[in-house]
Amino acid sequence: MRSVWAVAANTFREAVRDRVLYNLVFFALLMMGAAILVGQISIGIEESVIISLGLTAISLIGIFIAVFIGVGLVSKEMDKRTLHALLAKPVERWQFLIGKFAGLAMTLTVNTAAMTAGLYLALWTVKHPLTSSDWSLLPAVYLILLKLALIVALAMLFSCFTSPFLAILFTVGIYIAGLFAGELRTVQAVDLSPAAMSAFRAVSYVLPNFENFNVMGVVAHGRSVPFALIWQSTTYAFLYGAIVLTGAAVIFSRRNLK
Amino acid sequence: MTTRHTARAAFALLLGLGLAGIWQLQKRIDREQRAAMVEADNLTLRSPNLLKRMSLEYQPLVAAIYWTRAVQYYGEKHRLHQANLELLWPLLDVATTLDPHIVPAYRFGSIFLGEKSPGGAGMPDRAIELLNRGIQANPDQWRLYQDLGNLYYFDLKDYPKAAAAFEEGSKNPNALIWMKVMAAKIAGEGESPETSYFLWKQVYDTTADPAVKKNAEEHLILMRAELDMKAINQVADQYEKQTGHRAARVSELVEAGLLKAIPKDPDGFPYVLGEGGKAEFDVNSPLLEKTLMDKR
Repeated sequence: MRSVWAVAANTFREAVRDRVLYNLVFFALLMMGAAILVGQISIGIEESVIISLGLTAISLIGIFIAVFIGVGLVSKEMDKRTLHALLAKPVERWQFLIGKFAGLAMTLTVNTAAMTAGLYLALWTVKHPLTSSDWSLLPAVYLILLKLALIVALAMLFSCFTSPFLAILFTVGIYIAGLFAGELRTVQAVDLSPAAMSAFRAVSYVLPNFENFNVMGVVAHGRSVPFALIWQSTTYAFLYGAIVLTGAAVIFSRRNLK
Repeated sequence: MTTRHTARAAFALLLGLGLAGIWQLQKRIDREQRAAMVEADNLTLRSPNLLKRMSLEYQPLVAAIYWTRAVQYYGEKHRLHQANLELLWPLLDVATTLDPHIVPAYRFGSIFLGEKSPGGAGMPDRAIELLNRGIQANPDQWRLYQDLGNLYYFDLKDYPKAAAAFEEGSKNPNALIWMKVMAAKIAGEGESPETSYFLWKQVYDTTADPAVKKNAEEHLILMRAELDMKAINQVADQYEKQTGHRAARVSELVEAGLLKAIPKDPDGFPYVLGEGGKAEFDVNSPLLEKTLMDKR
């Protein structure tokens, strides 16, 4: 456990040193601009725009970090040959992988927490005082964070057996396909045989369903997220993430690093 | 002055002239584009289902962008006094399909769509479609029933349906008590100046949009004048009963002691008695033109 923590803390420090958190400046400017502008150019949606814009920015910036840094977590260490020095120490390959995952997850948590604070500040400027319904934003942010963790796990899985470019492509592809996983189940086509329909249905369950983590439309209008949805999505993310990381650990442990 | 200084001055001059040229050129291009816009409005993506898929999980934000585009489009057309609002429906259709809970798009969008030209698109059927869609997605929003009732009452003059909309909305526990009163009043009387005045006052008091507020204010002024004229006609009827003939001028009502002074319309012009001894606006009153426009 100590080894995992050491790798995780190091990954977090490295991300901070690489100025990953600089995106917060962009986020702050975006939210300030939106808070000032939106009331002038639209009618009746000041709050919902601040919320949906803030959550979209948190999600997109997070995805950008999760994919690009997640893919580089393993491949960069291999390219620089620093992985050999690390694995010479009493660190198992799976511990290295889990540590890297935990480090980036920590970075994303800090980043998301800071952006959430910025979002509340922007919301406060268009509407003060804040009301109890505004706290329904927190479950939405939490679900985004779960989604980001799942994306990091996928990015790491792909980077364990392919080039960084292809790993990025696969991760983004799976993310987009995962948003339509629910639709695959209900797809209606005249030409499709029952076998093909069953295959579609099976694929829809195998793909990570990223729509599970999307409650933006609910919280943008001050509605609360059902508790059942929160715990079910949490369990889904943990289960799916564990499967993906186990797969990544198996592939990585068998990989020839010479 | 050295050659270098001369070169710098020439460069600065050229830069200034160049920028001024760009400025002028851009103004011309803007004019050309504006003129082209009158010919044909353009909305590249107007399929709500395609946009729903393209916006991935960020539909609320894209919906807000489309609603803002609808507001800007309506405002720009209003500013340029252009009656063609053909893109209004597709913009609202996209916004409300992407985010079915965007209540302001239903409420204000139906006003923009339902209002007669030049104030709106003159498409009350589309406005009703939009509101029904809004009610289906947000049954807890009783104000949508109020807007539906207003549309049936003012634009379609369909009083049974207006009464039904107010009645249905009044069943919501959060609805204000007057919704039920309006339902009964419209069902019993149809159109009346008092009801119209009350409904426009509701729009005026609750809207956040300056254009809608101004429109409601203009209607309230006309309603106020209509109520004034109704009162003058009642006094003229009383005068007729007393004297056996209809008064030809308002001053006769004052001289008979039935009015304290010659009443003036909200723009400060005295009311007159027209043919048949009925109260009317003065020919110089701006409200006369507004009334004619409204009736048209």
